[in-house]
Amino acid sequence: MEQKTGGGATAAAAAADDQDFVPELLPLSGDEAAEGGEANAPLQATAAAAVSSQRDSWQPKEKEQGAPTRECMKRLMTDLRAVMRLPLPGIFVALDEQNATLVHGLVVGPDDTPYEGGFFYFILQAPDNYPHAPLKVRLMTTGAGTVRFGPNLYKNGKVCLSILGTWQGPGWLPSMTLSSVLLSIQSLLCDRPYHLEPGFEKPPSDMRDVTNYSDCIRHETLRVAVVDMAQDGPQHRLMPPPLRSVVQDLFITFKEHYEMVCTANLHRDGAAMVDPFGDKRGRFQYAATLERIRQLERTLATS
Amino acid sequence: MKVKLKRWHGVAVWKWDVEDDVCGICRMAYDACCPDCTMPGDNCPPVWGECNHAFHIHCAMKWLASQAQAGGGAPCPMCRRDFKFKES
Repeated sequence: MEQKTGGGATAAAAAADDQDFVPELLPLSGDEAAEGGEANAPLQATAAAAVSSQRDSWQPKEKEQGAPTRECMKRLMTDLRAVMRLPLPGIFVALDEQNATLVHGLVVGPDDTPYEGGFFYFILQAPDNYPHAPLKVRLMTTGAGTVRFGPNLYKNGKVCLSILGTWQGPGWLPSMTLSSVLLSIQSLLCDRPYHLEPGFEKPPSDMRDVTNYSDCIRHETLRVAVVDMAQDGPQHRLMPPPLRSVVQDLFITFKEHYEMVCTANLHRDGAAMVDPFGDKRGRFQYAATLERIRQLERTLATS
Repeated sequence: MKVKLKRWHGVAVWKWDVEDDVCGICRMAYDACCPDCTMPGDNCPPVWGECNHAFHIHCAMKWLASQAQAGGGAPCPMCRRDFKFKES
């Protein structure tokens, strides 16, 4: 009973947020639009155009206040230097070639979690008055807007975190940095994501809810955050080449682990994924995922 | 041996008496200045909150202003306690 109410409220919140966010993949055609370069072409299939139109979608209400302040740029550089000098385990960043206030981040799912070995790609933007306002963050690994990777990681890419101002609770502080934000995000990729849903922090009456949720996430991590992310395809238009190669290198590193998880879960195939929060998740397909993983290994080995 | 001092040059260094090296807001050294200033010194001093956390005065003022705009008091950027300037 209680769960039903909670799930409903979450769905309603997600629906309200949908209006603020465009889906991950904009309705762009192939590369033919790239050479145009005209301002009157509304959507172009270049990373820059997609990024800037996505950036607009971040703040549809408040107009951008012109250019970033000197403080914003200096502080962002300091943040970037800090991440490069002291790399955080499982966290990778790359600059955007066109927009100095955009940063591309890759967070690898930590060991011993259902997210293990998954590639979670984020685009972060510093507001003009950074660090006096929070970074804007968008998860790009969503299976083209079809997979919710956790209570705080919506299908539409919204990242629900109070420090980002996207959820109630202790808000942003100007002492926070690119590193601290990425670390907070990494902490969302945890052992039992079920408990990150507000109101569901305590063990439920039926403990299967917790494991069912993790089972969904584990499967979707392999299917979407591993195979889709490591495969070549249009979903990577925005991802800078350095991050692309990190993904492919790590895929090779983790491949035995991926295969092991698939093999251990083959018996689930065909069964429906049970999401305790009522999200429709489809069926387990570990055999197909395993086949794609092996295929990808061969492709990457020959390239 | 007797030494006779004919001339001398006084050389002094100054630094702000702050526990940390860098301002928690802009991450620049206190002994440098905030990103909006060009000259370190009396024009860009550190200020302390009642919680004893220090920031460049300009950084602290900007944070307070941005929070006032959002309606309400500002938490200390380091410890979240209500930020009030410390009476020295």
